[in-house]
Amino acid sequence: MKKTVGILFLVIIFAATASAQTGVKKKRPLPNEYGRVVINNYSEKAGLAPVVFDHWLHRAKYTCRLCHVDIGFGMKTGTTGIKAADNISGYYCGACHNGRTTMNGKKVFESCSRTNGADEKTRCLRCHSQGKYVRPEYDFATFTQNLPKERFGNGIDWEKAEQNNFIKPVDFLEGVSIKRQPLTAQKDFALGAKLEGMPDIIFSHKKHTVWNGCELCHPDIFGGVKRGQIKYTMTEIFEGRYCGACHITVAFPMIDCQRCHSKAVQQ
Amino acid sequence: MERQKLFLFFLTLAVFISLETLWTGTDMPLQGGVVLAQEGWLKEFEDICAKTQDAMVLSTDELKGLIARCDTLKPLIEKLPETQKKVYLKRLQGCRDLYVFVLESKRNQ
Repeated sequence: MKKTVGILFLVIIFAATASAQTGVKKKRPLPNEYGRVVINNYSEKAGLAPVVFDHWLHRAKYTCRLCHVDIGFGMKTGTTGIKAADNISGYYCGACHNGRTTMNGKKVFESCSRTNGADEKTRCLRCHSQGKYVRPEYDFATFTQNLPKERFGNGIDWEKAEQNNFIKPVDFLEGVSIKRQPLTAQKDFALGAKLEGMPDIIFSHKKHTVWNGCELCHPDIFGGVKRGQIKYTMTEIFEGRYCGACHITVAFPMIDCQRCHSKAVQQ
Repeated sequence: MERQKLFLFFLTLAVFISLETLWTGTDMPLQGGVVLAQEGWLKEFEDICAKTQDAMVLSTDELKGLIARCDTLKPLIEKLPETQKKVYLKRLQGCRDLYVFVLESKRNQ
C-alpha cells in the first residue's frame, strides 16, 4: 500500500514537473526533413493531400534568389497562395514544372493538370503527398553522399558544396529572370555579441549574395537603414526574425553557433 | 467586276491577317495601343528591376527616378490577369522596397 502510494506520488511529481516546463520541446528534424515545407492553402479544399516541399533538392540546383525573388515564392509557408491555375499558367512551380524545361538533360515533370485521369492522379501525388507513402524520385542519402558534411540541418555543408563546385546552383531562368550586372558584395563586418565571452558574429555579404539577391533580405528581413540601428536578439532570431528567417528552416540552423560567432574577419 | 471582287478578297484577307497578329492569345481582346502597353509594361519592369544589383552605387536622383517609375508601372500591372498581377506586383514591390531602403540608407550616412 505504502509502496503504491509512493510510486503514485513520484508519478504525479514527475508529470507536474514535466508539464510545468515553459514552451514545447520540438523534435529535431531528420537531415532529409530539414527545410521541409507543407503547403495547404487550397489542397485539402480541392480534395488533395497537402503539398510537401523539400528544400534540399531544389537548393542543390537553384539559388534562393531565383525562386524567392524572380519566381516570387514567399519566404513564409502559405504566404504565396499558389493555385493549380497559377502552375498551369507557367507561374510559381509551373515556371519549371511545365513538362518542357530540362534539368541535367531530363525533362522536369509538369505540375498540376486540368484533367483528372489516372496518370494525372499519379503525378499529383508527387507533390500532394502528405500522409501518403510516395517513393521520391531522388533519394536523399544517394543524392547527398558525395557532398561535404556538417553537423546540423541537412547534414550538408551547402556553402562548401557550392564553393568547391559540388553543386552549381542556377541563378537565371529564361523568360522569368532579368539580366542583371553581377553583384559587387560588400565587405564582411562584425556584430558584437551581447553575451560576455561569446565571439563576435562575422557577417559575410559575399557568402550570402551567392544564394540571395539584395531584395531577398532588404528591407523585409533586415530593414535597418543605419548600421547599429537595430539590436538583434537571439530570442527574436530564434522566433524566426532577422537571421532566423532562413537559419531555422532552410539554411544551417542557429544551433551551430560557431558558424556565425567566429572571430576571423575576411578582408 | 472580277477585279473588284479580287481586290475586296485581298483587302479582307489583309484585314484578317492584321487582326490575327494583334491577337496575343491571352484572354484579353486587344487593340493596337493596349498591345503596346501590354508589351511595354514588361520591358519597363525588366528595365526597372535590372538595377537592383547596382542599387548601392546609384545616385539619390537615380533611385528616386526608379521609385517613381515603379509607381507609374504599378497601375498597368494591376490590370493584368490575376496570376500575372499577383506575381509581378510582388516582384515590383520587392524592387521598389529595395530602392527605398537604399535611398534611406544613403540619407542616413
